[in-house]
Amino acid sequence: MARLIRTEKEVEGRFEEVWLVVEEDPLEQWPAGPLAVVGRPAPRKDAAERVRGQARYTADVRLPGMLHAAVLRSPYAHARVRRIDLAPALALPGVRGALGPGEAHELEEEAGFQGAPVAAVAADTFAQARAALDAIDVEWEELEAVLDPEEAVRRALFTGEPRRHERGDVDRALAEADVVVEATYRTQTVLHNSLETHQATCEWVGDTLHVYISTQFIWGVREEIAEALALPQDKVRVVCEFMGGGFGSKNSPDEYTFVAAELAKRTGRPVRCALTRREEHTSAGNRNSTIQRLRVGARSDGTIVALEGEFTNSVGWSGWNSSTEGPMRMLYACDNVRTVTYGARLNTPPMKAFRAPGFVEGTFGLECLVDELAAKLDLDPLELRRLNYAHSNEGTPFSSKNLEECYRLAESHWERRHALRARSDATWKRGVGMASQIWYGGGGPPSYAWARVGSDGRATIVTAMQDIGTGTRTAMAQIAAEELRLPLDRVEVSLGDSARGPYATLSAGSSTTPSMGPAVRAAAADAREQIEDLAEQRGLPRDAPVEEVVDLLEDAQIVGKGARGPNPTGMSVLTFGVHVVEVAVDVETGEVRVERVAAIHDVGRIVNPLGASSQVEGGIIQGVGHTLSEQRLLDPETGGILTTSLDAYRMPTIADVPEIVCEFVDRPDEHLTNLGAKGLGEPPIIPVAAAIANAIRDATGAEVRELPISREEMLRALREAEERAREREKRGAPAAV
Amino acid sequence: MELLRPSSVEELDGGVFLHGGTEVVPLLREGLLRAETLVDVRGLVPRGVREGVIGAGTTLGELEVEPAIPAALREACRLAASPQLRNMSSLGGNLLQATRCWYWRLGYPCRLHGGDRCHARDGEHREHAILANGFCASAHPSDVAAALAALGARLRTTRRQLGVEELYRLPDEGDRRTTTLEPGELILEVELPPVEASAYLKAMDRKRWSFPQVGVAAARLADGSTRLALAGVAPIPWRLDGIEALEAATPLPRTEWKVPLARALVRRALAELG
Repeated sequence: MARLIRTEKEVEGRFEEVWLVVEEDPLEQWPAGPLAVVGRPAPRKDAAERVRGQARYTADVRLPGMLHAAVLRSPYAHARVRRIDLAPALALPGVRGALGPGEAHELEEEAGFQGAPVAAVAADTFAQARAALDAIDVEWEELEAVLDPEEAVRRALFTGEPRRHERGDVDRALAEADVVVEATYRTQTVLHNSLETHQATCEWVGDTLHVYISTQFIWGVREEIAEALALPQDKVRVVCEFMGGGFGSKNSPDEYTFVAAELAKRTGRPVRCALTRREEHTSAGNRNSTIQRLRVGARSDGTIVALEGEFTNSVGWSGWNSSTEGPMRMLYACDNVRTVTYGARLNTPPMKAFRAPGFVEGTFGLECLVDELAAKLDLDPLELRRLNYAHSNEGTPFSSKNLEECYRLAESHWERRHALRARSDATWKRGVGMASQIWYGGGGPPSYAWARVGSDGRATIVTAMQDIGTGTRTAMAQIAAEELRLPLDRVEVSLGDSARGPYATLSAGSSTTPSMGPAVRAAAADAREQIEDLAEQRGLPRDAPVEEVVDLLEDAQIVGKGARGPNPTGMSVLTFGVHVVEVAVDVETGEVRVERVAAIHDVGRIVNPLGASSQVEGGIIQGVGHTLSEQRLLDPETGGILTTSLDAYRMPTIADVPEIVCEFVDRPDEHLTNLGAKGLGEPPIIPVAAAIANAIRDATGAEVRELPISREEMLRALREAEERAREREKRGAPAAV
Repeated sequence: MELLRPSSVEELDGGVFLHGGTEVVPLLREGLLRAETLVDVRGLVPRGVREGVIGAGTTLGELEVEPAIPAALREACRLAASPQLRNMSSLGGNLLQATRCWYWRLGYPCRLHGGDRCHARDGEHREHAILANGFCASAHPSDVAAALAALGARLRTTRRQLGVEELYRLPDEGDRRTTTLEPGELILEVELPPVEASAYLKAMDRKRWSFPQVGVAAARLADGSTRLALAGVAPIPWRLDGIEALEAATPLPRTEWKVPLARALVRRALAELG
């Protein structure tokens, strides 16, 4: 029965209260472990299409008569358009239309960062459109630019009110602690750099706008465009069949879509607006930099009694103040915790969600701090983590938590540290480090799916969700195949088009599998029940093979529908894990080699172990880049972005990828849904930076507290460690004599 | 824009020379280089290796597996760029690469572009020069040029013969160019003297496909002399008299780390010569 509920909805660590119609979730949990199809490795259903180049991504969409748009962007970090003349651009060959500030959503007169969109042109070719941008005559009024986050905090320039949390009495706990460790950690700005740049192609068909877009949220795009263009939502059709990566940066339509839609309207032609790689570096979002001033107080036995953090997120011109304090509040049992999180409003490009926003940065700080505490107390870092294990989330029970089991599985990797350290020589120092992971990833309603079974005994799952490259198509087919008791190759999944199928979740916050999977299972179960009823009427056993039951149906179909049920009330739904990393550091040249990463995750049931290990590998590789080599750099004087190409902005190459060992606890979350699966998109990147930094400390004694741990940071930390050692020797010397 | 394909050196008459295109094409695209006429010189520049002479049209991809050339050059080729780029890029073209200085690449009105200040000195300069950086702090990106400088290579162009070091000049107030190549002059061949041992070591931000933070080439020639040359430390490939010459380095606040790095690599490169 449909039920109206008021519930808390979580996306990327942000919560809001919403009204929802949910259906009950009466299906029993499947047994744990590998089943007939679910829990067994399945190669991607669309692998052949992808590797043959047949899969049609948004970047491949070419419509007859299509024009190409280019966007004029602010050369200044903060400026206002005093006067703009589009006429010289419109006079150029091939130019079909132009828009100034205010003529499309997100084209604005005030540019708050270098790269902010202010105008756009559509022409027969992209080269013509780009050339036309140069012809636009703009008179700029330069405004004061604020680039330093600490200055923004001092001047109270925030994107919202600072967020404060406090439980217990932190001051007293710190005063009474046996040891207090204090440190400042800094993380850099990094870029998503999806393989497919941000882009959309818009075409008006009658009074309906067709939007081909590289997106993580078909339904969100539909809603935002309908609102911006004052259209009924069903007059906007959004298509994304294959998608070349988003990592959180493609949750909403943004200027390129609004520009394409408006120019398509004015020219009567389809219009493509695709960001260039340079624009991808300047204007497509980022993981904001942070400054974290942290303190931990503990008893000499290792019990953490107080945690305190002041976090500054360099949010940029717009964006949101992500939960950098989240891990500090939730990862460990600690009665006294105080945090404040500032969102600095700067004249820099806006942040966008990037694979566990806030938690990646906050885990780097917290998990390094915990290891520094372990070093100070001379305790084993794994034991220290076990000692402070959280059995509830500030009193709220977990729907499931198997971090203890992750720690147990980590032991064999952790044990390797003795042998590994012994392999150090004068130049190469080796060490092992660990870090834990906590994150959301439970998903939630609403999400719907339909199941269609034909008389040939083949099934198609229909839902207007997107597969953002994570292998969702395959996972959904596995779930349906399991429930229908069909082999995987008899199940297809139709997705990627808002005109074909019901509402589906956004693919962000590690929510696709936990949100969609239960709806797909419910739809398949609905069909299955009908098939069993037919079997009974035909005098067949209820579990007779599907094709035998339906073979006389001819054109008739069995149609099932399913919905994602509600999340459990009064419970915290979270994901957990731990990484154990082995590094080698060349102490003369500062080279850091990440040699091995063992990743153990607790994300409930694993639907496709092959897809799951791909997610873990991808997260770790992205994490290695974040930790060692990637940084977006700004000119400190003008706020201009300096790293605008893939040679200046250094993502890891295949040669930088370590040996990766994936393990899963694979226990269904009995309280969450009929599937018991949580999401895995984000968890594997979260502990990478801290585990690498902790391994470096283990190998060299150097305190690396700033990302990226480039050679200059590594050499600085090594020199500092040497000086510390010399000081200690000097102080220690008289006593020894 | 027109593309010419002359069949002999005598036909050359202006234009921008194009060989592998891995540098010229991006520069054209970014508007840093302007050309009415592109001249495809692939038919004019010798390609291949014979008796100590290397055709300037030989690709880096060919040289990285060429047993007949000194280790330093082979290694400099192997550690440069990516396989795709090495398969396109020519030895001669590699010597003429422009700096990766982001201010220059983004068209800031810096000294190298004829302006009156070096933006990198006051700005973001973690990758920049530690030697001869008073006027312009850009760092020369060519691994191959450093290797050839250490190896004492000589170049034959359409107009003259010269030592590889004479190809380069430090930019100054009166002349902002970093090479001595005249308009219309084309590098044809590279000649190497006999070498007893050589090595090239390179520090990068990642393991592959990165310009040198510091590259060190060392060679012991048949005459018994030992020569060092560095990439990524000065606006041009930099000959170093010895490790002690690094004492004279003038790093910027955020390039200090390159000095101990260069020192460590020089020590190792010399040790590799045996």
